Amino acid sequence: MDDLLADFLAETREMLEALGGELIAWEDDPSDRTRLDAIFRFFHTVKGNCGFFEFPRLEALSHAAEDALADVRADRRRADSALVSAVFAILDRIGDMADALEQGAELPDGGDEDLIAALEPDADVPAAFPLEFAGGDDDQHKAPSSQRSIRLPVELLDRVMSSVSDMVLARNELARRLRESSAEASVGEPFERLSSIIADVRDAMTRTRMQRIDSLFAGIPRLVRDLSAELGKQIMVDIDGGEVELDREMIEIIRNPLTHIIRNAVDHGIEGAAARVASGKRDMGLLSISARQSGNQIQIDIADDGRGIDDARLVEKAVAAGIVAAAQATRLSPRERTALIFEPGISTADTVTSISGRGVGMDVVRANIERVGGTIEVESTPGKGTRFSLRVPLTLTIIPALTVSIDGQRFAIPRSSIEEIARVGQDTLELSRVGGAMLARIRERRLPCLILADLLRMESGVEDEERTLIVLRLTGGELFALAVDRVHDHEELVVKPVAPAIISAGIYAGTTLTDDGTPILLLEATGLAKAGGLEFDTLERTTRQVATPEAAKAARTTPVLLFTGLDGKRKAMPMAVVVRLEEVAPGAVETDGVSMLVVIGERVLPLAGADLGPLPQDALRLFRLHDGQCEVAYAIGEALGIRQIQAEFLATDQSGDRDGVALIDGQPTSVIASYKLFARHGVRKAAGESLPVCLLPSDDPWIQNFVRPMVEAAGYDVVDEGSVDADLAITTEPAHGGKINARKVIRLRADPAEMPDEPESIYRYDQAGLLSALHLSRGRTCP
Amino acid sequence: MNELLLIVVIAGERIALRSGDVQSVIELDLLAPVPCAPDHVAGLSALRSRVLTVIDCQCALGLGMAPNREAGAPAAVIDHDGHAYALLLDGIRNVTEARSAPGPVRTRMGGNWAGMSHGMVETDEGPVLLLDVGTVIAGPREVRAA
Repeated sequence: MDDLLADFLAETREMLEALGGELIAWEDDPSDRTRLDAIFRFFHTVKGNCGFFEFPRLEALSHAAEDALADVRADRRRADSALVSAVFAILDRIGDMADALEQGAELPDGGDEDLIAALEPDADVPAAFPLEFAGGDDDQHKAPSSQRSIRLPVELLDRVMSSVSDMVLARNELARRLRESSAEASVGEPFERLSSIIADVRDAMTRTRMQRIDSLFAGIPRLVRDLSAELGKQIMVDIDGGEVELDREMIEIIRNPLTHIIRNAVDHGIEGAAARVASGKRDMGLLSISARQSGNQIQIDIADDGRGIDDARLVEKAVAAGIVAAAQATRLSPRERTALIFEPGISTADTVTSISGRGVGMDVVRANIERVGGTIEVESTPGKGTRFSLRVPLTLTIIPALTVSIDGQRFAIPRSSIEEIARVGQDTLELSRVGGAMLARIRERRLPCLILADLLRMESGVEDEERTLIVLRLTGGELFALAVDRVHDHEELVVKPVAPAIISAGIYAGTTLTDDGTPILLLEATGLAKAGGLEFDTLERTTRQVATPEAAKAARTTPVLLFTGLDGKRKAMPMAVVVRLEEVAPGAVETDGVSMLVVIGERVLPLAGADLGPLPQDALRLFRLHDGQCEVAYAIGEALGIRQIQAEFLATDQSGDRDGVALIDGQPTSVIASYKLFARHGVRKAAGESLPVCLLPSDDPWIQNFVRPMVEAAGYDVVDEGSVDADLAITTEPAHGGKINARKVIRLRADPAEMPDEPESIYRYDQAGLLSALHLSRGRTCP
Repeated sequence: MNELLLIVVIAGERIALRSGDVQSVIELDLLAPVPCAPDHVAGLSALRSRVLTVIDCQCALGLGMAPNREAGAPAAVIDHDGHAYALLLDGIRNVTEARSAPGPVRTRMGGNWAGMSHGMVETDEGPVLLLDVGTVIAGPREVRAA
C-alpha cells in the first residue's frame, strides 16, 4: 500500500507541476477548452485515486471542482474569474494535502467547505481569494521532501534492458574466445569479476522492470464492488499472491484480459442471492483471484463459485456458428466443450448487458494472452463454478526454449508450447504414412506429424526412424508432432525480434545468439502448423476418433517411483529406468576413493545416492536402474509407491541437467534426472582419464544439487571434503571461514549485491558467471 | 553541406549509399541460412552480439542471386526500423561527396532499380545511383505483397 501511496503522491505532484503553466493560461482565457480539459482531467484522476485510498477530504474537494468544471464543459456555466480563483484555491489545497500526506503529518482541519462553497456559481467571494489557508505556513514546509522514487519513461528502461541483454551476449562471446585461447590467468580474474558485475546489473535491471502484481490486483475489489452493486449481487473477493512480481509491461498486457474475465464472472458466473440460496449455496458469492510464480511463468487463477459454464449451450452455439460440425460436436471432451468459449463470436449470455455478454471478448482475451507467449485455460463444473487459469511468462525478452537441429543448423522452440519429447523407435511410438501425410501414434493418441526438415525445405540425411518427435501444443490445446533430427538443450534465450522480411516466412518468432555467437531462429508452433497445412481448430478434435478423452488425459502423465533418499527427502525416480528393488548388506558397499560401488550378486555397480546420508546399519535398500546400456544402483531409504506426474517433467531429462521439483501428494519432491544420473555414474569407469578435481562441501545440499551437475558437466571430478590436492574448490563459506585445500577457490555468495570484502565471489544464481569461472579454471589446470 | 556517399558495388555496378545510413562496413563472420525466408534474405549473421539480417541486394533488385552469399563477403551494416541489417555487397570502393541532389534517371533501368533507388547523384567520379535502402530491405514487390 505504501508503494501505491507514494505513486499516487508522485503522480499528483507531477500533474500539479505540469498544470502550473496551464492554469495561468486558463486564467487569461477561461474559455480555452484544451486547458479546461487538462484541469478537469486532473481533478478526475485525483478523485478516482482518492476513492481508492479513502481520503474523503481530497475526494470531496476534487469532486466539487470536477462538478463545477463539468458544468463549464457542458456550457451550463461560464468560467468567470471567481470560478478560476476557487479552482486555484482547491488546487493549492490538494497540493498542501499531498505534502502533508507524504510527511505523514496531520492535515489541518477545516476550511474545505469554504473552498467548495466558493465554487458555487453565485458564491460571494472576493476577487482575490486568499491562497493561504489554515496552517499555510512557511515555504520550507512546502519544499519537496527527499525523492524516494522517480518516474521514468518505459522506453528508457527498455533501452537499458536491451543494452544489458547485449552486454550478456557480448560477455558470452568473450567467454568463448577466452576459452578457445585458454588465456592467461591475468585475464581470467578480471573477467570473472566483469561477469559477476554484468550478472548483477542484469538482475537489477530485470527487477527494475518488475512490479508487484498488487498494482493490478488493487483495483479489483472496487471493480467487483461496483459491478455487484449495479447487478444487485453480493460478492466477496478473495485475493492472494499480490506479492508476486512480474514485468511491468506484462502487467499492462494482462490488465484487460483479467478485467474481462472478472466482469464475466460477476455478471454471468455468480448468481443472484435468491438463486444461490435456492441451489443450496451461501447467499454471498465468492470470487477468488490468486497469483503464483511457477518457474518462469506466473499463473493467475480466477475462480468463482457460480453456476458454471453451460457447455451444452456453448456447443449448440458453436454448431450454429459453424465452428464445429454437428457430428464432431458429439465427440468433444468436456474440457474441449468448455474451451469453445474462446472461439470468436460465442457467448452463453442471452441478453446483452452493459457489463459483458456481447460475444466479443474471450477470443480476444485468448489472443492477447497468447500474443505474449502465455496460455489460458478454463475449467468449469455446472452448478459449482468456473476457474480460468492464465499463465504468462515473467518477462518478454527471456524465453526458456529447447534447441533442436536439422542438418547441423540449430533452431529453438519455446518451452511453453512443448508438451513432450519422444524418440522414434520406442514401443510407445509409431510413425506411419497415410496418403503422403505423416501420422504419429504416441501411446493411445494419433497425431498429425510434421517433419521439420521438410517444412524448412532442408536436406537432412536422417531417416524417419532416427528422428526425435516433439509434441507441440497449439494455443487452443491442439497437439501435433514435429520430427527433428536432434534435440539439444534446454536454454534460457535472450530473444530479439526478427526483421519483417523473416517474419513474412510465417514460422519464426525471434532470433537469439548462442554462447558461441551463432544466430538461432526461434520457431513458432502456430506458424509451423500452418506451414505444414494442418487444419487448425479441428486438429485435436479429429484425433478423438482414435482416442478417448481419458486416454488423452492419462497420456500427459508418466509414472514415477516415489521414495525417500538416504537424506530423508522425498524423491521420485522415473519408472522407465527402474529394474527392481534390491536389498544388500552394508558390507556390500565399497568405495574406490572417488565414487561408491556396490556388490550385488556377482556384479559390481556404481552406487548413486549413497553420499546423501549415512548408510543404514542393517540392510541397504537400493534401486537397480537400467538405461538400456549400463546399470546403476541408487541407494534409498524407503520406497513409497508409484505416482503419476506430468510428463513434461521428464521431458527435460532427454538432455536435462538438473533435477526438477514436482508437487507429489502435495509435497515438494525432487524428480531425479535419470539421464544425468547415468551420465555421471554410468560412464566414469570407462573414461579412465584424469579430470581436474573439484572439491565441493558434501554437507551443502544446494551445492550438491545445483552446482555439482554444472561442475561435472564442465568436466571436473567432484570430491568431498578431506580429500587432498583439489584443483578447484567451490564453497559458500566466507573467505575468513577457514583454510581450503585447493589451488583455486570459487566463493558463492547469497546476496546478488557485491560484497566489498569479497570482490571475486560469484552470486549463487549467476549461472553464466559460474560456468565461465569453471571453464577458465579448467583451461588453466589442463593447458 | 554536401552529403557524404559510400560508393559500393552491387550487381557489378557502382552504387551510392548515404554514409549516414551506414553504421559500419564489415566482412560477414558467418552466414546462417533462414529456411523459407524470401530469396533476398541471404541469412543471419552476427556482429558484436547483435543479430544481422543479411540482405542480398542483387536478388532484391531482381538481378539473380549474388555470387557471394557466404561468410567472408563484404557487407554494409544498416539500422532500419529498429532492426539491424547487413547489405551484401560485391565490393566497397570509397567515400565521396555528392555534387547534386538525387535526380530522376531519364532512361529505363534494368531489374527493380527504378523502384529501389532515390535517383541519380552527381559525384566527382561521375553519376551514380543512390540506393533506397528501405525498399531493398523490403524486397521485390511480390515479396512485399505476400
